[in-house]
Parts: sequence; structure tokens; C-alpha cells
Amino acid sequence: MAFNVTRRKFLQTASLAAVSIPLSKVVCAETGVTKASLEPKGTMNDTTVVGGLCEMCFWRCQMVGKVRDGQLIKLEGNPKSIDNGTSICARGNAGIKLLYDVDRLKYPLKNVGKRGEPVWKRISWQEALDECGSKLKAVVDQHGPQGICVFPHGASAKYPMHYFERTVGTHNVSEASFFQCRGVRDTAYMATINEAPEEYVDMANAKVIFLVGCHFGENIHVSHTKTYIKGLQNGAKLIVADPRYSASAAKSDIWVQIKPGTDTAYLLAIMNYLVQNKKYNQEFVTNHTVGFDKFSQSIADWTLDKAAKECEIPAAQIKEVADLLAANAPNVTIHPGRFSSWYGNDFQRGRALACLTALLGAYYVKGGWLPPKKPKLNKTSWAAAEHGNEHNLNFNNDKMHHPYAPPGTPTELIRDCAISGKPYPIKGCVVWGQNPMQTIPNQEKMKQVFKAMDFVMCVDVMPTDVTMWADILLPEASYLERFDEIKVGATYAKAGDTEPTQYIAPRYPMVEAQFERKDQVYITNEIAKRMGHEQDIPVQTLEELVNKTLEVSKTTLASIKAEGGIHLQPGKPAGAVPEDFMVQLFSDEIAAAGFPGAPTYIPVENVPAGHARLLFGRAPVHSFSRTQNNIWLHHAMPVNPVWLNNEVAAKLGLKEGDTVGFINSEGVKSRTTTIVKVTPGIRKDCVYMYHGYGMVNPMLSVCGGKGVDEQSLITKIAIDPESGVHGMRNNFVRLTKDGKTLDMPA
Amino acid sequence: MQYGMIIDLERCVGCHACTIACLSEWEVPVEFHRNWVYRLGPSKVGNELASTYYPGLCNHCTKPPCVDVCPADPVKMTFTDATGKTITKSVAATWKDPINGTVQIDKSRCLGCGACVEVCPYNARYINPAMIDDVGDGKADKCTYCMPRVEAGLLPACVQTCITNARIFGDLDDPNSEVAKYVKKGAKGLEPKGGSIGPNSMYYGKKKDISLLFQDYTPAALADIDAINRRTMLTAMVKPAMRKAQDLGLLGLAGAMLVQGLGKEEEKKNG
Amino acid sequence: MSETSTSQDLSFFYRFLARCMQYPDPQWMNEDFFQAFFNLVETLGANAEGKEIQVALEQSPDPIEALQIEYTRLFINGAPHVVAPPYASVYMDKSLQGAFALKTLSFYRAKGFAMEKDADLPDHLIHELEFLSLLAQENDLAGEEEFLTTLFRPWYKQFCPRVGQETRHPYYRMVVNLIDFFTTEEKKNGFQCNEA
Repeated sequence: MAFNVTRRKFLQTASLAAVSIPLSKVVCAETGVTKASLEPKGTMNDTTVVGGLCEMCFWRCQMVGKVRDGQLIKLEGNPKSIDNGTSICARGNAGIKLLYDVDRLKYPLKNVGKRGEPVWKRISWQEALDECGSKLKAVVDQHGPQGICVFPHGASAKYPMHYFERTVGTHNVSEASFFQCRGVRDTAYMATINEAPEEYVDMANAKVIFLVGCHFGENIHVSHTKTYIKGLQNGAKLIVADPRYSASAAKSDIWVQIKPGTDTAYLLAIMNYLVQNKKYNQEFVTNHTVGFDKFSQSIADWTLDKAAKECEIPAAQIKEVADLLAANAPNVTIHPGRFSSWYGNDFQRGRALACLTALLGAYYVKGGWLPPKKPKLNKTSWAAAEHGNEHNLNFNNDKMHHPYAPPGTPTELIRDCAISGKPYPIKGCVVWGQNPMQTIPNQEKMKQVFKAMDFVMCVDVMPTDVTMWADILLPEASYLERFDEIKVGATYAKAGDTEPTQYIAPRYPMVEAQFERKDQVYITNEIAKRMGHEQDIPVQTLEELVNKTLEVSKTTLASIKAEGGIHLQPGKPAGAVPEDFMVQLFSDEIAAAGFPGAPTYIPVENVPAGHARLLFGRAPVHSFSRTQNNIWLHHAMPVNPVWLNNEVAAKLGLKEGDTVGFINSEGVKSRTTTIVKVTPGIRKDCVYMYHGYGMVNPMLSVCGGKGVDEQSLITKIAIDPESGVHGMRNNFVRLTKDGKTLDMPA
Repeated sequence: MQYGMIIDLERCVGCHACTIACLSEWEVPVEFHRNWVYRLGPSKVGNELASTYYPGLCNHCTKPPCVDVCPADPVKMTFTDATGKTITKSVAATWKDPINGTVQIDKSRCLGCGACVEVCPYNARYINPAMIDDVGDGKADKCTYCMPRVEAGLLPACVQTCITNARIFGDLDDPNSEVAKYVKKGAKGLEPKGGSIGPNSMYYGKKKDISLLFQDYTPAALADIDAINRRTMLTAMVKPAMRKAQDLGLLGLAGAMLVQGLGKEEEKKNG
Repeated sequence: MSETSTSQDLSFFYRFLARCMQYPDPQWMNEDFFQAFFNLVETLGANAEGKEIQVALEQSPDPIEALQIEYTRLFINGAPHVVAPPYASVYMDKSLQGAFALKTLSFYRAKGFAMEKDADLPDHLIHELEFLSLLAQENDLAGEEEFLTTLFRPWYKQFCPRVGQETRHPYYRMVVNLIDFFTTEEKKNGFQCNEA
């Protein structure tokens, strides 16, 4: 565009009468400034703010922030921490780039276009909350509370989740950390040792560390990684079962290159060998297990040779591993794992790991499973309430579809009900911090769920793929801008301590929330008021919630802040096996529910001809699909190369760095491409990618469309029968190159 | 005294905490880095599979080629050690510190010519385009071993955040230091082929991992320093004349007067 | 025309342009506003473009909402993506609140200004225009020139064409071009108040 005058001329001639003067936002102040040196200052002299609690993943390391001019410049481990110490990982360090991510949600948005093809308009909080409150209330009035489904994830989602579950009264809550992650591990151990195992393994003092699929180094939780490396430095032998030469396999003494899906067969053969050769801990089995006879009968046909054939590994290696474990028992770590939603036979694998730990007597011992005694906190939240099972989709007359489901309702039951309208309509959807488009398999089905809704609201910090399906999209204060979640734990504070120390570390804001971002207590309470639950509101502010939660510990946010953001107090040693600790080797309860009473191997579908099994896992610089738009993390690993066996690559004529796409066995093509990593470090029948790449939402300006979203290729759904969680590694792919589909060699 | 860093690959898990902490501490532009982590393998080393990492950074070499090529006019600089003893020597815009053995850059005298960037066999230097003044458009930048932090009694940012204590910092000349003990155990630096520049960032690990690292990342023989020198001298001479007033960076008020003056000059020329 | 009064006029325009860049709200985006806006456009001789804007506004069932949607898409959060965040740091540091934002804030301070508590980030286009307005009001021509050269133009020259090419509403194309117009001449000819 060219104007026909120059600015100078214009200024000399123009009439200015009709132009009005708006108010200025910059006002005078008395500050001076010296000319800055080119050399960056470093953060040594910046103001230190204590009390940071990381949530780039959910391990929640304790941090301090360096603040300059109200701007957070750097995050560091809190020197007072006895958990992560002064260390934080790549993601933790990159937290400031999430805080200041240009794509972050800033104001409430209303979709004035179609659902899934949003046309956003900024609206006021008042209007946004009125809309959410009235639309959700309309759903409840018309269809009952069960007409609302909730997809929560993360610390901030707990308070609203309790509101919808307890106060509104819907069972239809599917939390990603349960149904697409570690829920099945927890319920398998609950059914076996009556406790969720967490990651309470004393790797630092282990003589042998046995990992089934855990890939530490690629999967990073700081204090856990510290104890793992400490264990290895102390001379622990490392056994890693993984189809891929993972970061952990690279540090292993024995790499078990197992066929995907056969882990339980492998574990059964190890256990059977221990039983047959009386290499198990007889004292522990006598005093602390139930059903040994039925158990040993049940697994008796799992000979080394049978497992060797099934798992495609040498029988001698199975024996070697079993002997190594037996020789070092009970000071051995049988790691329970974390992400466990693999093949739809995962409950049984969880049971097998728990039983193997028992045969080795590795509960409540140094180097074994050793739960710390943590400080107690209150459970302040919305008042618990019983809503019966009439509308509980997991109930089928007097039986449960999935009796060992984690809390909430299995995702697939909710989705089927929402899409079919049977047995009742689900018409309102609340997504809070979860990205179901990338956490839940079968994206098309997820879209159908959203299309079936009368109203969808999302609360998030970033415009993740799911936010494109929102009618109202609300911007949340991030973990660096709000009070929240309290991390508690107990550990040996320094080398040589004989008693552990307990710690309490609540989350404090490092900086104030910018733009119009709000926290979960504000948003939930305002919606609750509009849904007629004002009298049930348990706290007015997030700060109040945290202070009430702390009450029992006789600390407050103020007192802990004065202590440097972390409260330390003397702890108690983990102690010996409690007398009533009983391991259900054979469980009558599970058998009565119609499932195998002893750990049982359930084979998974074989790879169809011409295909490879699609495996995925963690990148050390990313958490799920939450961190890909972070510019520092993105630059550290911009794409997710597909690992391809070198012999397979040679047959396909593919070289390192070639660009390929994918097509799965159901004909679904990847939206994007990635590059090939050619390596002998993966089996020939599978390919592997890091999870969380290839996002659709182009509102994500850094990562949108980069790499391949392996989740888009996971269209075949496997359901673990006992728990109802998803199995996500039963999908098969072929590679495509330059428009041609390549058949994987047999 | 010679500061050095050991990276224990037995402990390193390739998590990238070190690289991101560095970006954060030193405001490194997103396209660049002062340190890096590359994943190597899995590939065959002899009959074994191996996979490890190359966490790299400036080696603060004993005979740093980057120092020799700097074309900036030398000035006398005085260095003082802990006891108060001083050493005065003539240095260009980058030099090796005679007290602590680190290699440093004076940004205010750097011409931004890029000679040091080109000669470094480790690609440890880059031209930071965000640093502009009336001497140079962009300045050479790199790891300083976090000297400002170390002088304030802190560890380098990458060492402080390392989640497995795989990075160890200290004085290689002190036989009792942890770094010196690692050297005795066999830690070694990535010496370029046929060179002897003495890298002071060194690696320790399993034999197969060290083999993989040295096989993949031993730098080629040093570049022809004379050729770099001639080219960079020319660049350095031509640059100030080519620079436009409007491209000048953030200046004080005196600088603004200069901008105005030059603007007028140009206007006259344009007629 | 005297040096001071030209500077006062310029101050006025910077403020008007800052107003144009605020989130559309009928409270200020009223008949008076549009009258002033079209006056300005007409005076500058951009009649065809002015007409195009008028047509766009008249044809929309809710012209203010149309502008709100476009504002959200261009400057806040949009699909397919947020087109042109109006913050200097986004272009210079590839992040919000980068070193460039701090430099900008330092410059404000050096000139004796600070941010109000409920202001947006210091390097938001609106605040930069307001700051230029205040400098012009104080007749600090050297400061204005320096700010434009070192802190404003380097990012605005990336921002302006992005909006120009991507916008679906002629109003915002005009606004960014007006801002361009009022902030570029110094670069070409040096800032002068008296005709040489």
C-alpha cells in the first residue's frame, strides 16, 4: 500500500481535530539505566525465589527461580532439596520457555465456528464462565450428572475432577495417568501385594537391577535416575529386557532382546525355573505369600525352552538371568515399571513382576522394594459422596466389566457410551490438562466423542491438539505461576545417614500469572457457583487449599517459605516386612472374578506379513505430548527418527536419514514424515519412535507438523480385560517412501 | 592451574539437562549452543553393540588454535592469581588465561570476523548475531567454563544441574582433584588427528563406549591456519566500512547522535 | 510549522495508532472512532483501501465481532496458528519475554518511564507506540529516532508484512500500514523537523 504523501508533509498539513486521545499505559517513574555490557550477566546476582515445584513431568522436582525485572530468567534445583538436589533435567531447565511460550493461551476464547474447525474470539472471563456453567448445568438438568464426562491430567486437574466426580456426581472420568499409563501396574500390584508399588525400589543398594521395558536415560525422573546410576556405580548388575537397545540396555550387563508382547512368558519361565530348582526364598514364601502350590502348578509348563521359543531369546540366557537374580536375592530390584499400557495383557505382567519379587524375597529389603515412610497430609477437597452404581458404566448388573480398573471409568466404556448414546446420553465434556487426541488411541473415535457432545470445554496452558475441539477454551496459570500440589517424601539426606529425613515441598508461584490466566480453584469454583453448588465449595483460593492440606503437618505456606521452600523433619526407617504383608501368588479373588488366579501369559496378535510392530517410548527431552512446542527442547530433538533394523533397511534400500511415512495395517497413513535411523539395536519385526511428535494444531508454531505422531497410527484398540486400560503396542505399520509402500521383509 | 572438565560416560544418561541449563544461564540464542549432547549408536564396536553420548563443549585447549588466529589488535592485559601475584601479557580479543588455563573472549574488542569459529576443530564457537556494537556485527561466543559463576563460588551451570554427577569440574594441575584422578584412570580428550592441542574437557567410560565416541567424533586434522588468517584479516578490514548506520545495535545517546549524523550524510549523497 | 508542534502532532498519531491496535470493543470503537480513522485514511490518499474497509464493515452482520475474531486470530491465539503476536521478543528472541523485551524495558526506564501494573508486556506494539507518543510529546527526537532504529523497526519490519499478507480483514492491513508509515521515514531520510 502506498500513501500519496510523505509522513513529514502529512504532519505539516493534516487536520487532527477528529482524532481522540486514548489513555496511556506507560507512566513516568524515577529509574536510571547504564549501558549494558555485551557479555550476558549470568544469573548469579539475580533475585532467588524459593519454592518452585516442577511439573514439566510429574516427578515434581524442587526448584528455585532466578528473577530479573519480574521476569523468570532461570530455574535451578533447590539446594535445600534432598530429593533432586541442585539438579533438574532438560525439561525442568526449559520450564521458562513454557512460561513465555508465545503460543500459550492468554485469554478465554470462544469458538464461534464449527467444533473441530475453530474460529476463536477472545471473550471476558465473565462470559466464558457463564457459558460453561449454563451449558454444563443444562446437560445435568436434561441427562443427569452422568451426562458429563471428564478427561483430566496433572496437578491442576485434581480439584475440578473431584468437583465433577463427587459434587456433580459423574463416574465418567478417564485420567490419562491411569488408563493410558501406569494404572494397570498399580491395580496389578494392588491385587497382589495390596499396595500400589510406585517406583519404590532401592536401586542404589541393589546387587541386581532388572528392568522390563524401562528405559532410564530416555525416560528421566531426576531422583530415580540418580539412584539408578548410584546402584550401577556401586556395582549392581543390570539386566534389561527390551526389543530395542535402549539407553538402559546400553548400560546393561545382560540385554534380553525379547519379542514384543512376550514379557509375561519370560517372567513365568524365570519363576518356574526358580521354583523347580528351589532357588526361591522359601522363608519369605512360607511367611508372606498365599497360594504357592496352585501358583507353581499353574506355571509348571513354562520351561526355559518353551519360553525361549515364545520370546525368541536363548534358553541359556533365561537361565543366566534367573541364576543371577537368585544368587543376589533378596537385594535385587525387580522394577515395577511406570508406563505400562502396552499390549492389553499388562495386568498379568504386573502380577508376574510382583510375584517374582516375592519369590526372591525382595520386599522390604535393601536393594529391593522398599517403600519410604512419608509425612502425612490432609486430603482437603470437595466432600466425598456416594453416587451408587446405577450409572457406573463399569457395572454390568452385579458384575464389573473390569474389576481391576484404576479409579474412574475405563476410557473405552465412556467413549462407546458417548458415541452410541447407550445406555444413556453423555452430552457434556470437560477436558482439563489432558490431550486425549494424543494420549488415547484411535483419534477418529475421539473426534466422534466430541462431535456427539452438546458442549465441550478445555482448560490448558497450551493450545494442544484437543483444544481445537473446545467450544470454550480457558487459559490456565502454569505450574510456575500458582500455588499447588505438595510433594512429600522421605530419603537419606546425605551419605552415611542412618535415619531417613522426611520432606514437605508445596508449590509456590515463581512469578505472577500474566495476561488473564487463572488457577483451577478459581475456575472450578466459578463454574460450581453457576451450577448451583456454591454451598459445597471447600476453599476460596488455591492458597487456602494448600494451607488446609498442610494443617496436619503443623506447617503453613508461610512457615515453609521461610525455611527455603522445603520443610525437613526426621523420618523413620522403612523397616522390615510387616507381619500381615501377604503376596497373592495365586489369588482366589481374581479367580472368582473370572480371570486367571496365577500370573498367566496371554499371547498377543502376531505381526502380519509385510508389517512391523509399532513401538514407542519416551524422549529424554519430552513429557508425553506436553512439551514439544518448547523451543529449547524442540531444538534439542526436533524430530523423532524411526528406528529400523539395519538388515531390514538394507533389504528395503533405506539409508540413515531417508525420509519415510507410515501406513498402518488398517490403512491409516501418517499425516507427516520422519527420518530413518538405521541400527542393529532393534529387532527386525518392529520399529520404534519417540512419542509425542507430529502435532496437528498449527497454533503450535514451533512443533506443529514436525516428526510423526505415532498415536495417529494406533487405531487398533486393545483392552486389558482385568483393568480396562488401553494396550497401545498392537498396531502394525509399513513404511512409505516417495508415495510407494514398502513391504517389510519376512 | 588448568581448569578442566571430565565427563563420565558411565554416569551420563544423555538427558540434555546440561545443554538447556547453559542456554538459560547465558542467554544463548536458540539457533546456537555452547555445549551439546549427541547420541551415538546403537552400532557395532567390534563384536559388541554400543550406544553412548558425546556431551561436548569448549575444550579450553592447552594450545588453543582459536587464540592464534584472532586478528584483533593486541592489548596488554594483567591477570592476578589468588595470592595476588600478577602476570601481564599481550592478548588479542581471545586468549588463554595464564592463571586458570581457560580460553576467554573480550566481546568489546571482538571484530566478529569468525576466524576462531572456523579454526576450532570442535565447532565449539559460534558468532552470536545478537551481540552488536561499533566494533563488530556479531561476536564470537562460546563456553567460558562458567568463569563468572566459578569466581562467585558456584559450579558451572551444566555441572550443577547434571542429574547423575557425570560432569566433574576442577583443576587438572592439582593431583588431588577429582578431575586429575580421572585422568590417572584414563580419561582423555578428543585430540584432532595428528594434532597436539591438548583438549582439557575429557571423557571417561566403558571401553566400547569410548571407542565409539573416538571413532565417530575425533576431529579431522587442523585447518590451514594461514589461509584462515589471510581471509579473516581481509574481512576484518573491510567490515567496518561496510557497516550501515541503521544496523548499529543498541547504543547510548552518543550513539544516536552518530546515527543521525550518518543519516544526514547519506541523504546528502542521495541528493 | 514549528518543530514542537510537529512533534506534538506526531505524539497524537502514535496514540491514535495504539488505540487502533487495541482489542475491538464497541466502547471505543464507535462512530467517532471510525470517523477519525477514515479521515486519516482519506487524508493520506488511500481512498480505495478505505472504501474496501467500509464495505467489509458494512457487509458484516456484526462488524465489531468480525474484528474481534480477526484480532484473536492474528494477535492472541488462532487457528490455523497465531499469525503475528504483537511482541518484539517473538521476532527477535523467538519467545515472549526474551532479552529484547528486557532491553526495551531498560530503554523506557532510561527515558524515565515504567510500566503500569496492569499493562501488557513492555514490548507489546501498543506500549511501544504509546512510548513513542510520550517521547514525541517531550520533543525527544533523538530518543525517538534511536528507539525506532534499534528497538522498533528491527521487529516491526517482520511483523508488518506478516499481518499484511495473512489478514482476512482490510482494517488490520490498513492499521499495520499506517503504523509502518508513521515509523519509517526516519530510516530513509533521517529525522528532520525543518525542511532543509
